[in-house]
Amino acid sequence: MNLIDNTPSALTGVNDSLLSEIADRLGEFAQTGQSASIDLRSLPMSDADREDLKERLGHGEVMVKLDVAGLSEIWETSFAGVWWIRHFGGDDQIAAEEINIVSVPDILHAHQADARAAASRLSKIIQEERHHG
Amino acid sequence: MAEPKTLGQMLEARGISRRAFLKYTSYLASSMALGSVAAKAMAENLASARRQSVIWLSFQECTGCTESFTRSVSPTLEELIFDFISLDYHHTLQAASGEAAEEARHIAMRENKGKYVVVVDGSIPTKLDGAYSTIAGISNLQMLEETVKDAAAVIAVGTCAAYGGIPAAAPNPTGAVGVDQLVTDKAIINIPGCPPIPEAMTGTISYILSFGKLPELDHLKRPIAYFGDNIHDRCYRRPFYERGLFAKSFDDEGARKGWCLYEVGCKGPITYNACATLKWNGGISFPIQSGHGCLGCSEPNFWDKGGFYKPLPAPIRDIGKVAAGAAVAGAAAGVVSAAVGRAKKKSAMKEGKS
Repeated sequence: MNLIDNTPSALTGVNDSLLSEIADRLGEFAQTGQSASIDLRSLPMSDADREDLKERLGHGEVMVKLDVAGLSEIWETSFAGVWWIRHFGGDDQIAAEEINIVSVPDILHAHQADARAAASRLSKIIQEERHHG
Repeated sequence: MAEPKTLGQMLEARGISRRAFLKYTSYLASSMALGSVAAKAMAENLASARRQSVIWLSFQECTGCTESFTRSVSPTLEELIFDFISLDYHHTLQAASGEAAEEARHIAMRENKGKYVVVVDGSIPTKLDGAYSTIAGISNLQMLEETVKDAAAVIAVGTCAAYGGIPAAAPNPTGAVGVDQLVTDKAIINIPGCPPIPEAMTGTISYILSFGKLPELDHLKRPIAYFGDNIHDRCYRRPFYERGLFAKSFDDEGARKGWCLYEVGCKGPITYNACATLKWNGGISFPIQSGHGCLGCSEPNFWDKGGFYKPLPAPIRDIGKVAAGAAVAGAAAGVVSAAVGRAKKKSAMKEGKS
């Protein structure tokens, strides 16, 4: 079945304002360490706008794929401290998409609670191996 | 083994990481325009919260709201909301039936007195003492009164539960009304829509769980995070409106080129909802993107407002004509509207950061 997608392919001009906002927030982050996030889903962007923004921000040194409740793609853009975060749901649809201006996005950090559970699990594995070894 | 006490402990036992919490709350915070700081706070608070008892009452309804709710987010993320709540009573979803089902409702009310949340979908018929709709031998009216008595809050999902909806359309033969016309002594949240956007339902419940309070509401008791902007302000076709480019019929050149649907009756300018940003079916599309104007289904009396294909009054249209040809102005207006949207949500963001 062919679905007609009426999403305009034309650029709306929103990216010029968006880039200025990113530049302002990045400047603030560089000066004060104040992080920021811009939710791309809440902006009236066309598909062409999204592709254009991706191209203008480019790719930097870090690219991460997460497999947690569906996949997530996170990459640092060619501007250090500006991260593009894209969360997919289990059906591979984009569930959330945002620009983070921060040293490292929160979701990449291991949480203390997860570390505690992991430490307990690892100890248990070692004990079992010793017991059977 | 004793049941884990908090959601964090419960999900940890099942191998679900805190990253999954953060991904889930990132999604919800995005849908509520709360930002990543709030997402982190929501994830921490959710992990230490306990499962919320929810009693879901279905009255004069079509089950569309439940269909929408069970399709919230994507399958793997969807599982999380059902881990966060204990859906103790729901006609359609529960395995129990008859007396066992009603007993489950009474047990939930007794064991969670003053703490449970009542979700209502469907309007309540009031004529003939509510005789038009009964469940388990009592009228919807009686069941509502009995169940909300010891509830912490009531969430009316769908336009029927919020304002009476289609059952209340003229001549309203059953005397159908929304929840807040009957319940006056409880905190009520309306999440209208026909059906409501699933994220608006799950997001609101998660917000209450995370922050222990209701989200900021508008004058119609709707969460501002989801109903603070009108469809028109966030519509990707708005630049065409600003340039004065309109489809005049559903098969003309303008329709084929995706121009603004204002002149074929789109109610986007007077409809407050998040369809243009959250969209439907996992963010794939929404009615306007599919070529049909907004029906205004999240507004009171949308069914009786004079016709889905009748354009809105001229004054709103004239704004577009003044700006005709101003492509750059149109683009700028989109950004400004986004900025205005953020300003409206300022207080919601403050709550998120608290």
